[in-house]
Amino acid sequence: MIHVENLTKKFGNIIAVDNISFNVEESKIFGFLGPNGAGKTTTLRMLSTLIQPTNGHIVINGHDCKKDGEYIRSIIGLLTETPGMYEKISAYENLNYFSGFYGIDEQKRKVNIERFLKMFDLWDRKDSLVSTFSKGMKQKLALARALVHEPKILFLDEPTAALDPESAHMVRTFIESLKNERTTVFLCTHNLEEASNLSDIVCIIKSKIIKISTLDELQKNKKEKKIEIVFKENAQKYIDLLKTFKEIASLALKENKAVFTLEDPEILNPKIIKLLVDNGSEIVYFNEIKASLEEIYLDLIRE
Amino acid sequence: MKKALKIFRKEIKEIIKNRSIWLPILAVSFLFSIAFPAILTIAVEDIVKDPDTAGFIAKFFGASTNVYESMIQFMIKQFIIFLLLIPAMLPSLIAPASIVLEKESNTLEPLLATPIKTSELLLGKTLTSMVPSLVISTTNFILITIVVDVFAYIKIGITPLPTWEWVIAAFILSPVISFIITMISIIVSSKSTDIRSAQGIGAVIIFPIYAIIGFQIAGFFMLNIKYLLVGCLVLVAICPLLLKLAIKVFDRENILTKWKMK
Repeated sequence: MIHVENLTKKFGNIIAVDNISFNVEESKIFGFLGPNGAGKTTTLRMLSTLIQPTNGHIVINGHDCKKDGEYIRSIIGLLTETPGMYEKISAYENLNYFSGFYGIDEQKRKVNIERFLKMFDLWDRKDSLVSTFSKGMKQKLALARALVHEPKILFLDEPTAALDPESAHMVRTFIESLKNERTTVFLCTHNLEEASNLSDIVCIIKSKIIKISTLDELQKNKKEKKIEIVFKENAQKYIDLLKTFKEIASLALKENKAVFTLEDPEILNPKIIKLLVDNGSEIVYFNEIKASLEEIYLDLIRE
Repeated sequence: MKKALKIFRKEIKEIIKNRSIWLPILAVSFLFSIAFPAILTIAVEDIVKDPDTAGFIAKFFGASTNVYESMIQFMIKQFIIFLLLIPAMLPSLIAPASIVLEKESNTLEPLLATPIKTSELLLGKTLTSMVPSLVISTTNFILITIVVDVFAYIKIGITPLPTWEWVIAAFILSPVISFIITMISIIVSSKSTDIRSAQGIGAVIIFPIYAIIGFQIAGFFMLNIKYLLVGCLVLVAICPLLLKLAIKVFDRENILTKWKMK
């Protein structure tokens, strides 16, 4: 659906995006993560044909971004990081105005506007001026604007920012449901839990691509694994035994739990278990805790 | 064209709600198309009694058998220039507001992300700026004609308007000035970061018209059909160049990246 090859963007001497390449399949949610200034918004702007790349190619749904900008903009929906609305007109008029640029039949437009305003609990306020809306309401309206023409691809930049927990949950559930409608989602977010729960593929960028993979692969490929041992009795008894393993790092004990990290657990875990059991410990659980996306992300960014 | 008209319709509704744009224009229109012409036409006999005024008029119109008619012709030449302020002022208020406010309110990016072509967006903004200007300016020219003709006929039995100068000013100069100021305002606004600076620069653009008013009142020259036609030719020649520059500057990447987001 989205094919990006050797994409670079320079602003004068500053290289905002440095030779990145990736593919996004149809109906997938592609999480695009990175620190501030990593080039996420610049990449998003290039994908939505707002700005031209310095080098490289973008092909969306078989169309070249440089040549077929108008077509691409007709099939995408964009939610920017700071979405603005026309404050002097109503919510309904805002959606009607923007959806009017997509050549949608008027009856269909009315149906869609009603659908999305109701979905985001804004139908009762459809005739209110947007200037009377809270930040969260404006965010939901902006999301409705990105969806009202039923785009094939949705570019979302921090979609749940400024939303209360209930609204954020509703939006995340909705984003997940888009897969069933064969909508491809390109999700830029700083909320790593959100990215972790929603994304099929995660791409971490810092001008260049640092990593691009599924969350499972990222967790498997993480060198250091986190191990948790739950004992029947207080874990403090076995601290000296655990310290005999030099490979164990970041050892933390709390009541009957011991948590630590180590590389090559497949080799060391049997030895650790044998030593503990031989010394009379009763192990209730022995787990590998999968690394969170936050831990993986922070490790990769720091490298 | 449909998309350009969509933009135009939405923005006109917003302009109508914005008193800070149309109230000053209505005030200026009333003064220069109704109040001053009416007062000066009614008072023409008293005005020409002053020997300095009569001498001033004779300098431009020669010794005339009908000094009242010459005085009215002189006033008409002044009012024509004043009325050309409207097609200059209004676009310099509307066009910057139209573009810079989109940037300030963060609606420009979502708008540019729709299938609208940059040329359609530019056309929509141009229509928003020019149509009200032309409607008001044409109305003003018609009003001044009615006012001056009615009172001049009552006072001295003549109907001095319309003249060829009036026709050139109303139907050629007015739209051309409106177009030029709109294009310059769009170019300036595409590079401006806030509405005050855009409108401030727009106010400077109409200085040449103030200068002409000043020179004419001071008696350095008197607008006649020759000057008007030369002015028209020069201004019409500038139009395609400005249009080309506006299209080049009003570019998606330019207006998104060369302006710092809040």
